[in-house]
Amino acid sequence: MVPLPVLVADDEPVSRTVVSAMLKKAGYPVILANDGEQAWKKLDAADSPSLALLDWEMPGLQGPEVVERIRKRASQAPIYVILLTSRDSSADIVRGLRAGADDYVTKPANEDELVARVNVGARVVQLQIALADRVRSLEEALANVKALQTLLPMCAYCKSIRNDQNYWEKVETYFSQHSNVSFTHSYCPNCYERFVRPELEALEDARAAQDKQKRG
Amino acid sequence: MGTGPVLDPAVIDTLRQLTAPGEPDVLTEVLKLFLDEVPARMARLRNAWAAGNIEEVHRAAHSLKGSAGNIGAHGMFEICKQLDGIGRSGGLQAAGPLIDALGAEFGKVEVEIRRLTAA
Repeated sequence: MVPLPVLVADDEPVSRTVVSAMLKKAGYPVILANDGEQAWKKLDAADSPSLALLDWEMPGLQGPEVVERIRKRASQAPIYVILLTSRDSSADIVRGLRAGADDYVTKPANEDELVARVNVGARVVQLQIALADRVRSLEEALANVKALQTLLPMCAYCKSIRNDQNYWEKVETYFSQHSNVSFTHSYCPNCYERFVRPELEALEDARAAQDKQKRG
Repeated sequence: MGTGPVLDPAVIDTLRQLTAPGEPDVLTEVLKLFLDEVPARMARLRNAWAAGNIEEVHRAAHSLKGSAGNIGAHGMFEICKQLDGIGRSGGLQAAGPLIDALGAEFGKVEVEIRRLTAA
């Protein structure tokens, strides 16, 4: 699987460089932001990364404020947010998580711990993306089922069906386009008596007449 | 202050190993950034203290603490932590000697960085 890009937002250059080097070493492409405002712009964009490491204390917008904005926006694209914090009192941590962060890492970051937590985030985001795809294909299937439950205009004589574009289609064509149904052709006992048997008998008679002619 | 090494060798070693193939050396880059950034922020800290601006003392100390922690400068980290605490709780009197101690400790760190990057 292609590694997801990670946004690293920190106003402090030493910390920003160290954290991004740790992620690059682990194979993650890194996008940098120098403060909260820049981070918010990049996360609110259409091509926003779905993983973000936000420093808690930044001038202007602080980490928790960026998270709050992300959670309030209309777009449903998942963003997994980890706050980087040197605040280790549990009241602060609870505040960060309540603001909408998914996790936190205390600074200075330990390489193994940081990468392990980002890996967890990547797993969660990939699950969310897979789940959203699944929901989308289920919704499509449901739409088709609903289409089949509506009234179908059918010709009383030839049994063709009028489709949404106002064309008359054979039953087989219509159903194979609107469902996963496919057809095998056979005949029912009634039609055997009505169509197949007379045809077979006619063939038999023709052959008997031919034989008689040859002998005569 | 400063009974242990000025820069934690384990942290320096971790930074040394962060360089990805084909990328510039992370340790050198980080240490250079540290030397470039810290003096200005120390000046900001001292000015904020002189002006009695507690909020700014807290901010400057906090960001210096982050930088120091990242390169394993434990002595500077501890002093910044105390300054950060003062910034939060409000009493500025105790900050003066701490800022002096921070300056002295930075001097040692600077010597150590020059030694490491010269090698």
